[in-house]
Amino acid sequence: MKQKILLFCLLIWMMMGQAYAQSRQVTGTVTSASDSKPLAGVSVLVSGTTLGTQTNQDGQFTITVPNSQAKLLFSYVGYQDQSAQVGSRTVINISLLAVGEVLDEVVVTGYLVQRKQSFTGSSANIAGDKVANRPLQSFSQGLTGQASGVNIIQPSGVLNNPPVVRVRGLSSLSLSSFPLVVVDGIPISTGDVSSNSSANNPLGDINPEDIASINILKDAASTAIYGSRAAAGVLVITTKRGKTGDAKFSYDGWMGSSQAVRLPELLNAEQYVTHKNKAIANARALNPRLPQGSFPQAGGFFLDTLEDGRIVETNWADLVYQNGISHNHNLSVTGGTEKTSYYFSGNMSDQRGILVKNNFKRKAIRANIDHRLSDRFKFGGSFSYTNSHNQSPNSGSVPGAAFNTSGLGRIAIVQAPNVSPYLPDGGYSVTGNSIGKGKNVLAPNYPNPMPIIDLDKNTSETNRLFANANFEANIIEGLKFSSSYTWDLRNTGNQTFWNPINGDGFSYQGFASNNTAKANNWIFMNNLVYSKSINDHNFVLLVGHESQLNRVETWGGTRTALTDRFFNQFQGGYKNNLPSGNGIGEQAFESYLSSLNYDFAGKYFITANIRRDGNSALSAANRWGNFGGASLGWTISKENFFESSVLGELFNSMRFKGSWGRVGNGNLTNWYATNNLYTAGVYGQDGIVAFAQAGLKDLKWESSSQTNIGLDFTMLDNRLTAEVNWFNKDIDNMILAVPQTLSKGIPGSSILMNVGSMYNKGWEFSLNFQAIRRENFKWNTNVNFATNENMVTKLYDGRPIIASTATLETTSITEEGKSAAQIYAVPTAGVNPENGRRIFINKEGEKVQFQPSAPGAAYTYLDGRTAPTAADQAVAMGNTLPTWYGGFNNDFQFRNFDVQLNFTYSGGNYIYNGTRAGLLDQRIWNNSTEILESWTPENKNAKIPLAIYNDNVSNGSSYAIGANVEKGDFLRLQTATVGYRVPSDFLQRAQISSVRFYVSVHNAFLLTKYTGVDPEISSNGNSNLSSGVERNSIPNGRTFTFGINLGL
Amino acid sequence: MKKMKSTTKILARFLFLAVYLMVNSCGKDFLDRASETEIPEDQISAEATRIEGQVNGLYASLKSGALYGGRYLIYNDIRGDEFLNRAQNGGVTGFTVYLFTNDPADSYVGGFWVAGYLTINRVNIFLDEMAKLGPNIITDAKKKEYIAEAKFVRAMAYYALVQLFAKPYVADNGASKGIPLRLKPEKTTENNAIQRSTVKAIYDQILKDLNESEIDVPMSHSNGYRTSTRAHKNTVIAFKTRIYLAMKNFPKVIEEGNKLVTATAPFKTKTGTHQELLGRVATVYADRISAERILSFPFELTNVPGTQNQLSYYYNIGNLEYHINTSGTGIYNNPNWPATDARKRDLTDLYANTFRYLTKFTDVETYLDWVPAIRYAEVLLNLAEAEAEEGDETRALALLKAIRHRSDANYVFPTFDSRAKLVEAILLERRIELLGEGFRIPDLQRRNMPIVSVGAAKSILPTDPEYIFPIPLREIIDNPDINK
Repeated sequence: MKQKILLFCLLIWMMMGQAYAQSRQVTGTVTSASDSKPLAGVSVLVSGTTLGTQTNQDGQFTITVPNSQAKLLFSYVGYQDQSAQVGSRTVINISLLAVGEVLDEVVVTGYLVQRKQSFTGSSANIAGDKVANRPLQSFSQGLTGQASGVNIIQPSGVLNNPPVVRVRGLSSLSLSSFPLVVVDGIPISTGDVSSNSSANNPLGDINPEDIASINILKDAASTAIYGSRAAAGVLVITTKRGKTGDAKFSYDGWMGSSQAVRLPELLNAEQYVTHKNKAIANARALNPRLPQGSFPQAGGFFLDTLEDGRIVETNWADLVYQNGISHNHNLSVTGGTEKTSYYFSGNMSDQRGILVKNNFKRKAIRANIDHRLSDRFKFGGSFSYTNSHNQSPNSGSVPGAAFNTSGLGRIAIVQAPNVSPYLPDGGYSVTGNSIGKGKNVLAPNYPNPMPIIDLDKNTSETNRLFANANFEANIIEGLKFSSSYTWDLRNTGNQTFWNPINGDGFSYQGFASNNTAKANNWIFMNNLVYSKSINDHNFVLLVGHESQLNRVETWGGTRTALTDRFFNQFQGGYKNNLPSGNGIGEQAFESYLSSLNYDFAGKYFITANIRRDGNSALSAANRWGNFGGASLGWTISKENFFESSVLGELFNSMRFKGSWGRVGNGNLTNWYATNNLYTAGVYGQDGIVAFAQAGLKDLKWESSSQTNIGLDFTMLDNRLTAEVNWFNKDIDNMILAVPQTLSKGIPGSSILMNVGSMYNKGWEFSLNFQAIRRENFKWNTNVNFATNENMVTKLYDGRPIIASTATLETTSITEEGKSAAQIYAVPTAGVNPENGRRIFINKEGEKVQFQPSAPGAAYTYLDGRTAPTAADQAVAMGNTLPTWYGGFNNDFQFRNFDVQLNFTYSGGNYIYNGTRAGLLDQRIWNNSTEILESWTPENKNAKIPLAIYNDNVSNGSSYAIGANVEKGDFLRLQTATVGYRVPSDFLQRAQISSVRFYVSVHNAFLLTKYTGVDPEISSNGNSNLSSGVERNSIPNGRTFTFGINLGL
Repeated sequence: MKKMKSTTKILARFLFLAVYLMVNSCGKDFLDRASETEIPEDQISAEATRIEGQVNGLYASLKSGALYGGRYLIYNDIRGDEFLNRAQNGGVTGFTVYLFTNDPADSYVGGFWVAGYLTINRVNIFLDEMAKLGPNIITDAKKKEYIAEAKFVRAMAYYALVQLFAKPYVADNGASKGIPLRLKPEKTTENNAIQRSTVKAIYDQILKDLNESEIDVPMSHSNGYRTSTRAHKNTVIAFKTRIYLAMKNFPKVIEEGNKLVTATAPFKTKTGTHQELLGRVATVYADRISAERILSFPFELTNVPGTQNQLSYYYNIGNLEYHINTSGTGIYNNPNWPATDARKRDLTDLYANTFRYLTKFTDVETYLDWVPAIRYAEVLLNLAEAEAEEGDETRALALLKAIRHRSDANYVFPTFDSRAKLVEAILLERRIELLGEGFRIPDLQRRNMPIVSVGAAKSILPTDPEYIFPIPLREIIDNPDINK
């Protein structure tokens, strides 16, 4: 392979030697037509090519044009586009007419930069400043509500927890539905790279302030150029590069403070004692045979008093949550000459979450340089180095941890309020692995959170190098060769220490586990682009090859049983040492790609992409796949009949577009899924090998085909821009972890197969309106709205797929004929007013009531006859994927003040409020004040059953129940910002070019009927099959920030 | 024109090159990335040590913490009246099992089923590998030994499953629906549908495997460690006494028992590995490789039971999930178990002045207590019960005394005026001797007796659906024939 790449490059060089130089330089000045002042930063493009430049601060430009047929296109934000035929001219002066803002004028598809007007696919462009200067850890969190058809959920309030990102709905069931993220050309890994309870989103390694733009490619015709990895959409991140001109310094900084909001209201000590003892009495009244040890006749819970006579009353949330203070600083320098431009930035971020000891720190530097060696050769390089340090106590809020008894999110709600965390002498109050019981007879069974907070340590630290070298050569007129090598080297060290006193480390008598992962990811791309314009016919042809290899090696160890409590780290003294977290994985991709863009007179557009991809994770016979797409565009507003009709007066522009494409999903997390494999281990003192994986030898690509039909138009003197798209995304040959009958004894009880199909279809609307544009008062508003209908049409043998929350509770089901990841719960019909028992509805539609600790049958029909258990009568109870969502963004400018209000909204989905099951659990756990309204003979119309001690069935702790299914509709004021720009005449004396101060509030308010902490929560993270479940997760905080933007 | 022509030529050459590269997908070597840390199927039986590794793998599978390495014993004790739950930890540590509210969706009970059938499939795959094995890798004698050990492992796995998930054999002589009987290797997506075989068919298969195993297993292994952790002749016979007892086939219990037990005290084995009762009962748990322990599942730092499966996590102060029930019908409260008994004195303790707990399993730091799977004491009690029921009552009493007097030398048994009374005393002795070792529930079930549960605070009758574990939800959903 390598030899062939070399050969390829060699041939290109040989041919370049034969090429003829015919291009020449054109210079000129661009001014504003209204005041004749020079315009800096105007984009100058040779039509139909990717050749382009920008004007300098004096409005001047120099560009090399391939021939005299070339046409130059001038575009600038806020001005109308203009074009000019070069002909024999060497100097072209242009004045541009202002038209108001035209946002997102270019679309970066990763391989080509296209002007928005000639782009016929469907994409959303988000400017870098939308994700900058916000109290976020990664840009991915900032995309909420910014683009139609892109749905973002923050799974919990843990810092740097990877958000759930879905472009046009769910893209897969067993593979990742997270879009492909391409940063300056290299696809990078996503997910969580932490191996402990601190979250570590590798996208947090990218400084949001370094991002110039984020293009989200949505339809298959535009994603097809990414072929096999594009099924979930593509986020193309372009980082900032140098701009010609004098060096410009800028400093951006903010400080913020976050608080927990919407925490549940819990019983206080007195209410707790009264309620729990009543529940014991209720149980004993029902069944006197209950053991004294677990149901003491005299009650199990008693108030404790301090020496000064006050009763012991602990609000655990006060100990677990904090006011998190954060600050972020960013410094950048950019500048350059016509030949060389550079960009340099440094970032320091120190963020504290609402959870105590939850901390995210990033130090990042970035430098890049672009240099034009001659008319023919261009060279560029970039380098960035990031250190991200994530720290979090066990929050129980990262995927898989929902039921962790040491999870602080859970302890904050379940721990008994009538015990103190400390002994009178100041020591920790503990009994075994639980908090001390105080005056209670029954001992609490959750750990004391204070040793966990004070002594445990969970960190995940990444050191990451991104480096790129690229080279461009103009071989002959219109033919450009480019070569780029990008290296993404990530080293992540995870450190865990659990104290021996209480919590996760208790049963180990102290536990430490460290491991490091080295991910070495490189990509080598070689492309040829040929651009040609003949009269009104413009062509761009791209041919390319790329290869990518990602190798991850992990190694580490676990040490248990501390020799001395002096130590609180891995390197101290322990009795037992064991290797852990060791592995090697490697995945290779090789691709050939080509695209053709054609337009006729800027009226008719055709784009075609093809890509042939090879993926080492698929079977040898099926690892190559062909993908492609095509799109058509018709700018009807440029037709004479349109221009001359009333439509021409009404609309400034109008365009129809349509596309179809077929892309793949080969994002297998298991890179060796096609093999039958045996794993090694030890039995006693002897080595073992054991059957560990059943693979499918003919596993092939999952493919997705998508149709997009769209219309965009501008009207009212370009003040109103609107776009409408309809899409239909069909996913077939879906790679499914097909559940195997458990009694087959297949390891993991599933085999990956290409079966199943699913579709997403919906509408997307986006409307941008410059409602007011007076000199001293501007209001720009943007509304985006999307609908999505997800439907699973085929599963293996029609068998549903059951999924669980944190492997413990069965909460989700995916069935044919329904949206994926339905809540799977036993329907309920309230409480029997006669006896206070929970009523379930079985699959026959019969009402079955439940009585815990009953001397007789636990389940009976309402007439008293014994009924079979209702525990296995769960049915699909509602879709968890939002069916509509969007954003409503407003920018106001009044003199030197600016205000931004960004709302997000979403709905049509259901959430399983599993936390509520815990809050009403009748074990020793504390309850929410809602329990005070439970059934009593005096309160027969209650919604909550009679409290019977130890009952974990009636309210949904044992299995999911319908009473905890809630609607998830909400409207949130995501951010509200007020800024003030210091007047420039005031600044000139200080030789400062711009200063802006701002204050902002994030998650300012939430309108929802959902009773849990947050309707955007996802305790199972990015899981496709068990979304929409809240279980003990910590909420998203509310953050106030104060910031400054300074330009020198 | 000349210029144009050469440009066209160059373009043509590029296109040719591009097409050439596309057609000849040249990345074959670049895209070949095999696992470096797991062994591919075609090399699995290439070496003698690797074949032995597969045999060890079968034992490792059986001793999974989800199966015999912990939960088999735990589930069979916490469903009864000997232990009280302290930690209320839900399904994770058996709270739902304790309360008899575990449902088909219970992922831990489901995990038991999964671990059982994974072991069975691994045995089936191994037997298939042996049938296909080429010559000159291992000797025929070695091959037979390995096959015999594999069959023993399969028998133990089937017994664990049939005992927990199917009606007792004695309820209707095995006519009830049992569990799926799988004897073929499963590596593909086929064969999801299978009906449940009868309880009798499962017991027949267990006995067939054990009888075949008995012929070819070695008398002992290369050292004491392996002999006590892998099957040998006496292990297979001892397990047969348990199976026949579960089938109420007392003559067979006596027949098999006699292969292992001398006619009179001091009782010990006659052939094969030497097995006998140790002098002090506490030594049985302290000394992992002793004459009383016929089969143990070993744990070392490199192979631990896994979190929340460890016996000392449950019963000892590891997490003291369950403590001894010192009141009501719990055996600790039984007047026939006086405080003078070493099993009470040395194998229980008091924690925080509140909780009486079992100290048979003591490692609360690394949790490496070996799981006693088959003890000589159990064989003697199995034989005693069979003799008391249908054989020699005098020998039955002698066997009973051997157990009791080891721990309480001065204990005086009353006169038993009927076989039934003697049997009752032997059953009581089992509750004392085998406390925490997974016998409480099978001892009730094999006599079709109600389960006295402190968790559910009632007696669960053999006719109640909760008397046995429900078939796991995923088996019901994915196996269309499970209820046919």
